[in-house]
Parts: sequence; structure tokens; C-alpha cells
Amino acid sequence: MAVKIRVEDLHFSYGDFSLRVVGQMFAQARVTSIVGPNGAGKSTFLKCLAAILSPSRGSVFVDGRNLAGLSGKSRARLVGYVPQEPAFTFNYSVLDFVLTGRAAFIPVFSSPSRHDIAAAEAALGYVGLADFTSRPFFELSSGERRLVLIARTLAQEPDILLLDEPTTFLDPRHEIEILELIRRLATEMGKTVIVTLHALDMAVKYSDEMVFMKGGGIVAAGRSTDILSEDLLKDVYDIEMSILTVNGRQLIVR
Amino acid sequence: MSGRQNKRATAAFVLAAVVPIFLLLLSLNIGAYRIPPKAVFSTLVGAVFPGGVAGGPSAYADILFRIRLPRLLLALFAGAALAVSGASLQAIFKNPLVFEFSLGISYGAAFGAALSLVFLGHKVPAQAAAFVFAVVAVLAVLFIAGKAASQVVTILLSGVIVSALFQALLSLVEFFANPYALQSLIFWLMGSLAQADWKDLGVTLPVIGIGVTVLILLRWRMNVLSLGDDEARALGVNIRREKITVIILAALITAAATAVTGVISWVGLIVPHLVRMAVGADNRKVIPLSAAYGASLLIVADDIARSAASFEIPIGILTSVVGIPFFIVLLKKSGKIWL
Repeated sequence: MAVKIRVEDLHFSYGDFSLRVVGQMFAQARVTSIVGPNGAGKSTFLKCLAAILSPSRGSVFVDGRNLAGLSGKSRARLVGYVPQEPAFTFNYSVLDFVLTGRAAFIPVFSSPSRHDIAAAEAALGYVGLADFTSRPFFELSSGERRLVLIARTLAQEPDILLLDEPTTFLDPRHEIEILELIRRLATEMGKTVIVTLHALDMAVKYSDEMVFMKGGGIVAAGRSTDILSEDLLKDVYDIEMSILTVNGRQLIVR
Repeated sequence: MSGRQNKRATAAFVLAAVVPIFLLLLSLNIGAYRIPPKAVFSTLVGAVFPGGVAGGPSAYADILFRIRLPRLLLALFAGAALAVSGASLQAIFKNPLVFEFSLGISYGAAFGAALSLVFLGHKVPAQAAAFVFAVVAVLAVLFIAGKAASQVVTILLSGVIVSALFQALLSLVEFFANPYALQSLIFWLMGSLAQADWKDLGVTLPVIGIGVTVLILLRWRMNVLSLGDDEARALGVNIRREKITVIILAALITAAATAVTGVISWVGLIVPHLVRMAVGADNRKVIPLSAAYGASLLIVADDIARSAASFEIPIGILTSVVGIPFFIVLLKKSGKIWL
């Protein structure tokens, strides 16, 4: 299995919190979920992988190239980041919003070309929102907003997608819709996907590999069938949980 | 964008190409000295094609080309500058309530220009002094706001503090100014286009022209800069460099305008807001349309300032008196949703 991302001795701290990842690899065209309690450092780790945060020590290599040594544009074409909620004030149309994903392709003093618009429309089509181009973003539901955020990152055409809790606050139907889309990104498009999740059952079901984090470090990583145990869950979450296997599928019961 | 908004955008662009020039030509007819429209036309044509159509009496040409035209060109450029500066700052600060006034730029520029007019005797051009202090003001706002600079309240409060400081410094300049300088300074501070002469415009118009053009070229980029900083960074944007470029350009054109016109407020807030209401939030439309409608608004405001009473009403007072209630209505209507 080809390694897409290699993390080496990564350190990042703010206030009392510090993240330290001695070493971690992420496989190409696979979905890896990062799980752990609040404050474990999942989002911080994800932002370091996206080079949004600069680590005080250590490096992230993508295809053997150090991310820190790349220009913003080159980095954006390799790694895309999907935040939980977009932080913007103005009510752009869905298409205008998705077009911002093309920033790395468009010179500073230019506007999107037909090709950029086609790429944004294709991305919207892929997430099932082809008819939403002229809808104002503020009028969308939470689930639709998450899909639009993913579409924007697809318009960016990166090899890697990093998604920060894309299913939080969603109802079960939208949760599954997003997770199935995430799986398709890996299986159909060959994207390397890393996603932070809270729902352990969903993480087990939809990811190829899992990374358990606690207190700013990685506690366990690998295929869920290899690493998942009641002791691990007790250690990470500090509560008792049971693991049931039904039809070959692991279910976690609290 | 909806089909209706699309149609509106097309109409807005067509009007934007016509309205400012139409208003400029129309306004050449307005003034204390009455010149018949026919004479205005023939004088203009006579100037463009000398030897062709006979121009009017030479007094007409003097009034039109020495007084009215520079004044109207200043209104056109200053209106465009203030509106584009406001729209750009609103985009990059992700805050529809920010404009050159609330960021301290206007009073920074006013202080700089006053300092030059009263104490430096034009040794340092008013435009240069205005620009330096406009940049100082915006840097001070960013310094005071610190890491919370993207938050609406913090940036507005920091702007209030810096504006208050520069107003106090301005009062100090007034205190030490001789009575003659003080009188012209106070009138100038109220905002007036009466000072327009070709010598000043030789500096002001090119500076505003270049600044507004570059900001219009950056119009789509402002959509990206108006996202969260993390998002924009992840999209490969050098946020710091691009935001500083926009801030410096906005300060430059505001200072260039303010140094000649005095403080004219609210244009930078109201025009971009109206444009967004008509055509949506996409800065590809908002920035160029703000330039056209800002220019149109200031020409109309100046026409009113010149002709509503037997004396000239300072245009800064006029824009505030009209602008503030207008803005309150907008605020009430829009509730918490901003376009």
C-alpha cells in the first residue's frame, strides 16, 4: 500500500496544550478517521497536516516532499481542507462560494475562467448539488452546507482531503450521506481522505484505518479490526464501552 | 445568484457605464452663474474641436473648465475612491460595518492633511501627509485589535479609539492654527469639493485612478479574502500579503481624496451596501459597481450642496445628514442578515 503522507516528529503547542506526533503514515486512496475525546488534538493535528498551523518542530511529507517547503499554491493543489463551518459574513451564491476553491489556479489579478466555472459546477454535481449553483449559501441546511464545503475542496483538485468533523450536528440521514460521499472520494476518485469524527461506530464502518488520539498524542493507529479493543476505548475515553461483532461488523455499545 | 438578480446585475452594469458620465455632463449646467445648456454644449464641443463649432463667451469656458469640470471630476473620483475603499475593506475584514471612517483612516488622513496645511506650509504635500497618517491609523487599529482583528466588535471599537485619537490631534492642530488658517481648515474638514483645482487634481486623480483600478482587478480575490483565514490559507492564498495590499490601496485612495475634499463620510458604507442589496455579495460585481455608483452619488450630493441654498452646504455634512438615517433604516430592515 503506497504511503501518501508521512508525519515525522511533529510538535505544536499553544497555551497549555501541546501536540506531539512521533511518526504516522497515511495510505494513498484510503479513508483514515482520527478519533478521540474533545481536546485530544484531532483538529490541531488536521490543521498541521493542512499546513494551516506551522509546527514548531517536525515535518509533514506528501509524496516525499516536505509541505513546509512548498508554496501556498502548490500546497493547495496537494492538500484540501474542509472546515466544520465556513467563517464568512457575506451571502455568496453556492457557485461563487465553490469557485473560491479555484484560488490556487487563478492569478491574483484575474477572475475565474470558464474552465474554473466548469470545475466548480462539476464538483457540485459530484456531491449531488448540481441544481444549487444560484442558491444563496445562507439559505442552505447544515447538511447541504457541508456538501458545498466538500464541493469547494473538490474544485481545488487536491490529492488529499482533510475534513474536520464533517458530520457533527447532522441528522442520521445526512450523516450517512456525507460519510458515503467520503468513501466514494477514496474509492472512485482515488483521494486520500483523513477525517476527524466523534461517532465511533461510523468511524469503524466508513474508514479503512483509524487513529486514536488522547492528550495531544496518538495512542493507537491501524485497521479497526486490528487495534479496536475495550481496553483501548477505556484508555482513550475514560468510560466503559463494549465491542460487539455482528455479521462481521464491529459495534460499540456504551 | 437568482435569475432576477442576474437581470438586475446586467441592468446595474449598463447603468454604471452611463450614469456617472451623464450626471457629470448634466451637472456642468448647475452652478451659481447660469450658463444656458446650449452654451455649455457648444463650449464643450468648441474645446474638443477647436475651430469647429464656435464656443461660447470666454467667461463660460473659464467657469466650465476652471471651476465646474475640476470640481465634478473630483466628485467623480473621490466618490469612486470612498465607495471602493469601503467595499474592499468590508470584504477583507469580513465585516459589512467597516469602512474607511470606522477604521480611523478618514481622521488619520484628515489630521495628516491638516498638519501639512497649517504647519508645514505645503512643504510636505497634503496628499502625502494624509496617506502616511491614514496608514498609521489603520496599523494602529490592527495593533489595538490584535489577534481578535477579525471580530466585528473589536475592530469597530479599535477604530473608535484611533478615530478619537486623531480627532483630538486634529483639534490640537486647530488650537495652534492662526485664525485665517483655522477658518479654512474648519470649512475643509466639513468636506467640500470647492478646493478643486487642476494642480491638486494632477496628483489626486492619477493616484485614485490607479488605486481604484488595482482594487477592481483584485475584485474576485476579495471573495477569497472574505472567507475565514484558515480557509483562505488552505486555498493557497498568501493572506497577509494580499490583505496588506488591499489595506494600503484603500488607505491610499481615501487619503488622496480626503486631502483635497476634507472628511466626507458614509459614502463608503452606504454605496457598497446598496450595491449588494441589488446584485448580491459577489465582489466581482460589488467593487466595480461601487466605483460607478459612489462617483454618481458624490456628483449628486455636490449638486445639492451647491444649489439647495443660496450658500454652499458642506458636502460632508450633507452625506452625514442623509447617510445616517438612511443607514439606520437599512440596519432595521436587514435585521441580522447581511448580504
